Amino acid sequence: MLNVFQKLFSKLSVENIKIELMRTAYGTEETVLSRLDPRMLIVWSLFFTTVPWFIHNMTILIGLAVLMGVLAYMARVSPLLIVLLIIGVISQFTYLIFVALFLGGTFTALLAVIPLTIKIMIISLSSMAVFTSMDPEKFSDALLSFGVPGKFSFGVSYGYRMLPILIEEYQSIIQSFRLRGKMPAKKGILYWRYIVYFLKISVLAFYPMMLNTAKRTRTTVEALEIRGFSYSEENDLAKKLKLKALKMNKYDYQFVAITSVITICIINIGMFYPL
Amino acid sequence: MISINSVSFRYPGSENWVLKEASVDIEQGEFTAIIGGNGAGKSTLCKTLNGLIPSYYVGDFEGTVMVDGLNAATTSVAVLSEKVAYVYQDFENQLVRPTVLDEAIFSPLNFGYPDYMERGREALRILGLSHLEKEHIWQLSGGQKHLVALAGALSLQPEILIIDEPVAQLDPAHATELYDKLKMLNEEYNKTIIVIEHHTEFIANYCSSVIMMEQGSVLWKKPVKYGLSLVEELMDKNIHPPQVTQAMFQLKREQKPKLFPITVQEAKAEIQGKYEILPGPHLFSSQVSQVKGVETISMDGVDYGYKTITRKRKPIINELSLTCYEGEKIALVGSNGAGKSTLLKMISGLVKPQGGSMLVNGQSTSKLSMEQLAEKVAYIYQNPEEMFIEDSIYKDIDYFLKARKIADRREFIEEIIQRFHLEELRERDGRLLSGGQQRRASLAIGIAMKPSIVLLDEPTASLDIATRKDMMKMLNNLNGFVKTAIVATHDMELVAEWASRVIVLKGGIILDDTTPHTLFSNPALLREASLVAPQIVTLSKEVNMYPAAITTEEFLSRVKQVGVGGGSVECVSKAL
Amino acid sequence: MKLNVERKLTQSQKMMVFVLSMALFGLSKMITEILPSNEIGPIEFSVSYFAFIPLILCVLFHPLYAALGASVGKIIFADLLMGDFSGIGELEGFIQLTVGMYVAGLIVKNPLNKVQLTIAALVGVGMDQILSSVVDITKVWIGIEGFDAVPGLPESIVLLEAVSFVNEMVITGVLFGVIPTLILVPRLYGKIEPLLGMKPREKRVNASMAEFVKPGLITIVIVLGFVSMIAEFMAELDLNFAFWTSDFLLQFENGYEWIGISAGLIVLGLVLYIVKKIFSNKQQVEETIESNKRVL
Repeated sequence: MLNVFQKLFSKLSVENIKIELMRTAYGTEETVLSRLDPRMLIVWSLFFTTVPWFIHNMTILIGLAVLMGVLAYMARVSPLLIVLLIIGVISQFTYLIFVALFLGGTFTALLAVIPLTIKIMIISLSSMAVFTSMDPEKFSDALLSFGVPGKFSFGVSYGYRMLPILIEEYQSIIQSFRLRGKMPAKKGILYWRYIVYFLKISVLAFYPMMLNTAKRTRTTVEALEIRGFSYSEENDLAKKLKLKALKMNKYDYQFVAITSVITICIINIGMFYPL
Repeated sequence: MISINSVSFRYPGSENWVLKEASVDIEQGEFTAIIGGNGAGKSTLCKTLNGLIPSYYVGDFEGTVMVDGLNAATTSVAVLSEKVAYVYQDFENQLVRPTVLDEAIFSPLNFGYPDYMERGREALRILGLSHLEKEHIWQLSGGQKHLVALAGALSLQPEILIIDEPVAQLDPAHATELYDKLKMLNEEYNKTIIVIEHHTEFIANYCSSVIMMEQGSVLWKKPVKYGLSLVEELMDKNIHPPQVTQAMFQLKREQKPKLFPITVQEAKAEIQGKYEILPGPHLFSSQVSQVKGVETISMDGVDYGYKTITRKRKPIINELSLTCYEGEKIALVGSNGAGKSTLLKMISGLVKPQGGSMLVNGQSTSKLSMEQLAEKVAYIYQNPEEMFIEDSIYKDIDYFLKARKIADRREFIEEIIQRFHLEELRERDGRLLSGGQQRRASLAIGIAMKPSIVLLDEPTASLDIATRKDMMKMLNNLNGFVKTAIVATHDMELVAEWASRVIVLKGGIILDDTTPHTLFSNPALLREASLVAPQIVTLSKEVNMYPAAITTEEFLSRVKQVGVGGGSVECVSKAL
Repeated sequence: MKLNVERKLTQSQKMMVFVLSMALFGLSKMITEILPSNEIGPIEFSVSYFAFIPLILCVLFHPLYAALGASVGKIIFADLLMGDFSGIGELEGFIQLTVGMYVAGLIVKNPLNKVQLTIAALVGVGMDQILSSVVDITKVWIGIEGFDAVPGLPESIVLLEAVSFVNEMVITGVLFGVIPTLILVPRLYGKIEPLLGMKPREKRVNASMAEFVKPGLITIVIVLGFVSMIAEFMAELDLNFAFWTSDFLLQFENGYEWIGISAGLIVLGLVLYIVKKIFSNKQQVEETIESNKRVL
């Protein structure tokens, strides 16, 4: 007899997950934000991920949160994900409130945590808006232009390329364990025996995985050598060629202008009508 | 163009010289194949040409390598890379960029060519890949990936192209396509091409010269016809000459000519008029339906597909029905993507059918876990490395039995180890073995599960001919508890020599359910399933032998020299 | 300088270690993201990461490249490709993990010594977790105005962080750190290195404390530690700036926010500078090692 857990796990472990992962990784669609200059977007998001920490005005915080929510929605982050995120952020602090209530005896902690929750929400939403739709290649180009070494941007595209291969290989190895292994006869309380069985496999599978990947890596690094990767790291020619494609255009300026104006409005309103 | 002069090399701290005073010259515009057994130093020799040895892999290096007037040992890898391009055997790991165009422009971009985009596009155009420009590499087929790797190498416009085992991982149709491209590069763009190759039939059809290596030295370099005619020497070094050459060698044993035909056309010219073709058994006589045994696998209207990243369902297997019986040796054939592997995975329970019913030994696979099904079905992976989950072959064989706490398993394991000649490898890690040893070990692991059904995915892919023969012998000896064996393969010689039943797949449906003889006498079917018959079949057809012989032995038994009495067929087949 | 000599790598070998660590840890991090988690009260039964992977690689290869590779892999595979990239927040994780794993790798002198491996695994994960607790507390501290004044809040956050620390140490540190490391290191030792074209590390049972204390390596620890301190506490410093200047700027109504914002920008600049530094640091480390060798 097959039980719910196993069904769940088999659903989790095979094709479905792989496809979902691939979809998230490769399914970047054209959105309002994805057309913009990645360098500008990174700086923009850095601004909105640092600044909220230093704002203690509730009106401004709520205003910014709404703005970020709208932008995330425009970046085609599904509304469900946004809601889940909000719930997640709130639940993060429930224990804190609960324990503080127990130790301090008042509800002030609850009130104190609300602005913090909103801050984290602003930060998460702004990163979500910017990075879910950003092509990883564009991101790595932007980092390259900020002076982050080529190794990192290589890592991005290598990860982008190897991800499906690695997932498939890991899946085959797991299946190899299962094809020769034996599931525990009893499931145990809360399926703990099954959980232990699967966790053990998922750890042990890294033994073959490590050796196989090491073999792979050797060819890759050798090929990088003959294809001039280390040469490009030593001189700037390649970098200059690559970054030529990055340009700020009309849309970028419009985006900056519009979001700045809205932000300034929010701050002004907040100053006059602080909550 | 290339001049290698008494070159020796060994890795630091190693006693063995990987290259030992190797000397050879290669002219501009040559299409050369390097042959030799495992460990002959073929790849190592090629890596001296682009300076990876000794600049990148430091070690003891002697002798000189001149490439287009440059001393390779003292020139940087970067400079040499623009003259010599290299495509690896495991080309998957050479592709480091996400999309096709990115991959093609990678090298010229790294070397700072302002026209990198044009160079990349030009390379794609030459190889006919322009329409794939924006595709993600992981979504391409194996053959396309290999071409992209080649495009990546071409984009630097090198004079010399080195391709390590180009067809090892490709199906026959794609392999021919690749060689046609190489030929075009050689003829139209005057590139010097060096391939490391086991498949002498490709060498015969495409190369102009052949270099034989052994233990780090170059034994000889000869024009291809002379090289491949040295049948005895080649066989002695575990390199099998083309099937037609072998056949002609046997036919002309007594005359001992210096040269043998190496292509079908040459062989046809030799045979016509000089040999008589004997009639073979009638096609249908080989198909006499025996009394069928007990049903082992029964599929009824089975469906399988997966979701693509656009969330569309892509069907792989379409309402397929098939019944397999005890005692059958079934070959699943078809081009890449026909659904062969998926079908095997479905029988093994790795994937469950999404529609229809699939019974293995009378039980539905949907109701069994992978672990339970594994007690009846052994699935041998295409890539043996994915089957080595322990750190020694012994433990790997033991794993299944240990998990089931089988008492006194020691003896049985020893028996398996002996049967598969793994005595010396028992404590080694599977990954560190040679390709042939890995196959043997993976088969042993599967058989140790005492399965009644064995499924093998490409058991002979990328094996040299000697280990291939070895593998075939073992496949023929799968008796005892194994009731049904199913092999998914591109290797038509394996199909011809081993299978009792052939299932031809295309697009997830069964095109035909037949025997090797009928399959190979049906050109329309072969074409539709993009299969390429063994060379000897083609020769049989060319010399009007009906039904076509499908193995060299059969061919030899059916030709007779005009005016000469009964052939020496028996000793001939023994010699093979 | 024995460790540097024995783990001296060519440029390409460094790249191999980096790529290997990146691919493996990135993959594992993705897998742990998928694994379902269960919570009972504040105790979470989930695997935050497969600590044994960077631990093993740091033990067997040059710890700096393995540690950097792992951190980069996490960011690329688990965050960037999975659309979970949190901008500047990635930096804290990056620094924590790199420092923790790097130090763990330094501790092990003999890869076959179980005691050393255990200590290394616990220290590695422990450092990562302590740093992360500090960051969490700092965040709440900065994020809540008048944090100290809320009754029970400081105690609760410390208590919760302590619980989560113990929780993480048991699951990530022991179950997915110490135990797999002890099983897998002896299996991989001497086997994985030749695949990358390297010689395995020598096993030396005796290791004096003096060997740990090497100027070059200490420098790295201090530099990385310092960087992480700055990154984590800069914000706090800025808060003080804000207090300091608030009197001065009282004349401007609500000037407070603006100062905070400008301070934020300063942090941002610094952080970018630091990111750049960390990467170029690799080269410096090499140089330090080289020059140290020459001195000896």
